Amino acid sequence: MSPPDASPSEMPGIPFPGRPGGEHDEPLLDMLFGARVLPPDAPPELHDLARMLAALAGPADPSELAGEAAAVAEFSHLASPAGLSLGPVSLGPARHRLSRRPAHHRPSQRRATGRPASRRRVRRTTAVKAMLGAVVMVGAVAAAYTGALPGPIQKVAHITINAPAPQPGTRHPAVKPGHHGHARPTPTPHSQPSPPKRAAASSTPQHSWPGRTPALPRASAGPSCGPGPWQPQDLPVHYPSAPSGSVEARCPALPTPTPSPKAAVSPPWPAKPATKAA
Amino acid sequence: MLAGAQRGDETAFVCLFRDVQPALLRYLRVITPDAEDVAGETWAAVVPGLRGFRGDEEAFRAWLFTIARHRAADAGRSRNRRPAIPVDPGEPVLTEAAGRPAAPDAAEVALEAIATRAALALVAELPPDQAEIIMLRVVAGLDPADVGQIVGKSAGAVRVTSHRALRRLAEAAQRAGVTR
Repeated sequence: MSPPDASPSEMPGIPFPGRPGGEHDEPLLDMLFGARVLPPDAPPELHDLARMLAALAGPADPSELAGEAAAVAEFSHLASPAGLSLGPVSLGPARHRLSRRPAHHRPSQRRATGRPASRRRVRRTTAVKAMLGAVVMVGAVAAAYTGALPGPIQKVAHITINAPAPQPGTRHPAVKPGHHGHARPTPTPHSQPSPPKRAAASSTPQHSWPGRTPALPRASAGPSCGPGPWQPQDLPVHYPSAPSGSVEARCPALPTPTPSPKAAVSPPWPAKPATKAA
Repeated sequence: MLAGAQRGDETAFVCLFRDVQPALLRYLRVITPDAEDVAGETWAAVVPGLRGFRGDEEAFRAWLFTIARHRAADAGRSRNRRPAIPVDPGEPVLTEAAGRPAAPDAAEVALEAIATRAALALVAELPPDQAEIIMLRVVAGLDPADVGQIVGKSAGAVRVTSHRALRRLAEAAQRAGVTR
């Protein structure tokens, strides 16, 4: 008996050829796993086993596809341009729909997937923050050099970065009376100037799902956020083999929710062996 | 189909789901009592990562079942109890006495469902490692190397274990009278 094989006592009463010994039936067992048709002279027990394995991988029961709507909804949500711009950030509600388990029973979502997307999200958020900070800094310096800052601040700017000194008597020499619509508002204590970033944010589309953060610049400017859902050129997908033919054969009736891919099933196993054979 | 789903094609994703979900659910039913929940969590993890996935359909299946196995383990830890097999061993089996419903098509569907449940029940009687490997090889259609990656064994060990499982399964099938 070879070391990796089971002992005869472990499998009593199995009338496979080669018992006790175990090696002789292995090619036939491999044929079962390979979804190949057994030779006619194979033991009837193996034919029975093949039928049972075929039942094991039998056509889908409609109840087995009950989660399809939730999965498709989540997919559609993430495939939308807004969903793509945020990735897993907007996953919360859909994830809860997909799982019936209470939140405190759900395991950590950190395992196996999502890490690259999370890292991308963090990098994106950091980049956006840095960009906003740079814009504010540049704006402040420009305002200082045009003398548009309030007197005390302009004085500080004059000292620190050699900006023009504040003109005596006028706190905002660049602002002319009657021009409130275009330039800076009048610096009364009750009318604060609206920051440019708020104006920019209000021009971006608003979204209704919970947990959504304000739209990021990438959502409106990035090449992957065009009119279509996803741009193929943005996908670094390596897809060497093209098994779509066999797959389409297994899923022939997409518009109807008939779950059974039975038509493309070849004995002994309907579901997977088609792919294996192909 | 996989490439279409990665591009955002919803039809392709539906096809992908229908192709994989039955196998995923049956596999999970053998290894966890929370099969439906774990399947949902698996898809919740797969969908966001689908776009960045690289590989063919075989690799996708291996990836998905790896996630499912991790989620099932997490669920088992969170509930802190041994996974029970939700399949009723006393389920009617596919024999001559299985009954004869009125409509032929309905009868065929029912018999297939009964046969599937009976086969699942028999697999559930196997030792856990053998049951899992049988499900990954037969239902998920993964090769020994992929199964070995998932369960943490070598391809040779997977092959030996799967042979043992088949022999046990044949014996159990004869005892239960599932076949013929």
